[in-house]
Amino acid sequence: MGRKNYWFLVVILFAVLSIFICTNIPFQLGLDLRGGSQLTLEVQTTDDIPKITPDDIEGVKAVLDRRVNGLGVSDSQLQTIGTNQLLLELPGEQDPSGAAKVLGETALLEFRIQRNGTEVQLRDLQTQRNSVESIIKLLEDNNSAQLRKEININNEINKLFEKYNIQSDQILDIDQFNLLKNKINTDIAGLFEPTLLTGQYLTNAGRRQDQITNNWEVTLSFNNEGGELFADLSKSIAGTSRLLGIVIDGISYSEASVGKQFETAGITGGAATISGNFTADDARNLEVQLRGGALPLPIDIVQIRTIGPSLGTQNIRLSLFAALTGLLFVGVFMIFIYKLAGFVAVLALSFYSLFTLSIYALLPVTLTLPGIAGFILSIGMAVDANVLIFERLKEELRNGNTLIRSIDASFKNAFSSIIDGHLTTLISCITLFYLGTGFVKGFAATLGIGVVLSLFTALTCTKAILKFLMSYQGLRKTSNFINPNQIPSPSINLQ
Amino acid sequence: MKTNFNFQLYKNRKIVWLVSFSLCLISIIGMLISLKSNSIKAPLNLGLDYTGGTQITLERSCTDDCTFLNTNDISNNIIALKNQDKNFSSNTSPNLTRSQIQLLDNSKLISIRLPFLSAAQSDSVVSEVNKFFGPFKNENISVEIIGPSLGKQLLKSSLISLFFAFLGIALYINFRYDRRYSFLALFALLHDIIIVCGVFAWLGYLFDVEVDSLFAVSLLTIAGYSVNNTVVVFDRIREKGLLENELSFKYQIDKAVGATLTRTLYTSLTTLLPLICILIWGGSTLYWFAFALLIGVIAGSWSSIALAPSLLSITSNNMIE
Repeated sequence: MGRKNYWFLVVILFAVLSIFICTNIPFQLGLDLRGGSQLTLEVQTTDDIPKITPDDIEGVKAVLDRRVNGLGVSDSQLQTIGTNQLLLELPGEQDPSGAAKVLGETALLEFRIQRNGTEVQLRDLQTQRNSVESIIKLLEDNNSAQLRKEININNEINKLFEKYNIQSDQILDIDQFNLLKNKINTDIAGLFEPTLLTGQYLTNAGRRQDQITNNWEVTLSFNNEGGELFADLSKSIAGTSRLLGIVIDGISYSEASVGKQFETAGITGGAATISGNFTADDARNLEVQLRGGALPLPIDIVQIRTIGPSLGTQNIRLSLFAALTGLLFVGVFMIFIYKLAGFVAVLALSFYSLFTLSIYALLPVTLTLPGIAGFILSIGMAVDANVLIFERLKEELRNGNTLIRSIDASFKNAFSSIIDGHLTTLISCITLFYLGTGFVKGFAATLGIGVVLSLFTALTCTKAILKFLMSYQGLRKTSNFINPNQIPSPSINLQ
Repeated sequence: MKTNFNFQLYKNRKIVWLVSFSLCLISIIGMLISLKSNSIKAPLNLGLDYTGGTQITLERSCTDDCTFLNTNDISNNIIALKNQDKNFSSNTSPNLTRSQIQLLDNSKLISIRLPFLSAAQSDSVVSEVNKFFGPFKNENISVEIIGPSLGKQLLKSSLISLFFAFLGIALYINFRYDRRYSFLALFALLHDIIIVCGVFAWLGYLFDVEVDSLFAVSLLTIAGYSVNNTVVVFDRIREKGLLENELSFKYQIDKAVGATLTRTLYTSLTTLLPLICILIWGGSTLYWFAFALLIGVIAGSWSSIALAPSLLSITSNNMIE
């Protein structure tokens, strides 16, 4: 082992390191391989903001980030695409409509005060709501005997369904009753007039369970300005019969009276509570939406992809199998055509695959189906580099050059073709990476990394392995590289 | 100096041009027919990614032998949602009569194509179909919803990235070689792209094969591959020009092409092998992607061995008849 084999040792060292990396660092799998949901959200313009700036996008992203974290999906990712879109990945999430609901809703929080002369209407609506709520509670407890009794007593309920134009053939459906409750609450909100105090003054939101009633409540705190507005607002209706309505997205959640004791200063301290008969989930969703703050711009969900996890594993299995079989064929072909050099190429390509995979794990590159396709193609590029070198080698040998000189010449002569081929592919990879979106990007990334590494392995690994083998006298035979009948006899060789 | 083949490209150049010209013509005719046809109205049969819509794929949990389903029954159940589901009760809800239903894999997979739905609406469709035709394997449900504006945007961004990739490649060759080489490399590339698009236009017109964003990816890969191949040949031509400049240019080209012919054929073959494996075993997701690449690799090899060098020989100034 002379100085020549220095590179060979480096290559072996790299390979060992790569095996270590590949076995210890898990690969980051894309949603198409592990299952989950991917949502593309488009930020909409409004009359006030006709053009979306990067700052606007960042604002929306910050709000959505907080909301997504509130959803409690691990490993979720939110990234900006282009000028007006956001891509949200929720691995493992099989129910994107739940997530879509929390994300898509602006959760506009408003404090409203009751309009004069609406006392009777409000009382009626509140009574209706109470009966609907008690039925919902019974439905949740699944107490059907008592339920029928309840509905019999409440003949009014049927009238309500008629009034709000809800199909009543499946009257025991809990969804129908919730819909009814929302419609009543929308009507209640209509009895109140908007004020200046909205969700934009909110600094925090939380939830807690009432010790006595066990109902969940959402707590709010305002910034200074919001606190002052809230004090003014409560002062203006303190001690009157007018109520303060807390309205979210046009639906009233609670109506509260303000006691006479607040007549002088209003409710100070900048905090409020919404108690609207929430379940734990309702309270959590509302808290997430409120704490996330109001979105500075509305968003629209333009794309949803959901992939089941086992569909993903099936995808991996199929494409890996296809890739490995393809490589096997390539290996057999190379050894058949280039003999010893072909064997060197197979070794070099195995090292290449190891290096590439370890880079994917290190960076990390999110592996998607197109990404795997990119990897397979980059192997094609790596093979091509070897073919270019070995064709040159054959040519040199046929011209009667000695083996060692031919090896050196083949690398030197093939260099410019290899560089050009790799760089042109790299150019399209870079373009794709910057202009493409989603999985096009993934493809560009894997192919691009592959191209760079292929350049490295073709010029160093193949050479190092070849030189290492050539240090053994027994292998140093021209007939190990080309068919004996193609070796020119020495007499012709004298040019 | 000995070459493997006595490759007389210059002599046969007119046949090469005729072949390429006919292939491009058939391709362009395919795209025109596709453009004029009422069902497609575009040069290529654009898929969900570009037109927008909803695709729901459900796998029935039955053993090997699934009973055959009637697609009309499924369709009717989906249409009925309009009257009974709150997610579809508004006036603006999508037209459920425009559903396309396919049974794949011996009636085991149900694939439903619908106009753009919201997440809640697609849930309704899944649960409705589940009610009548289930049970389905929950972990194998795949739903894809793409808004119409996103589809247009994707198409636009695909075209833009194609354009810039071409431009970048052209600039690079211009810098490494000269304007003539870069023009011809681009010409060869365009030739390959037209043929691949043409094949898919015909497939789309005759067999309803759609192009998705993976197709755009395959076009870009083909572009890279085609130029790579052409450049290797050009590199040889330039080298020959420097080494044996006493030879006529057309002879240099013939020799250079002959010298790189084995390499090009081997490379094409080693690239085709994994592609053929993906075609056979890679599953339906990658099938048409691999197919596009396959056509591209074959066209690319042809254009770099035959078309680009034979054109180079006539653009040359030092051409000696």
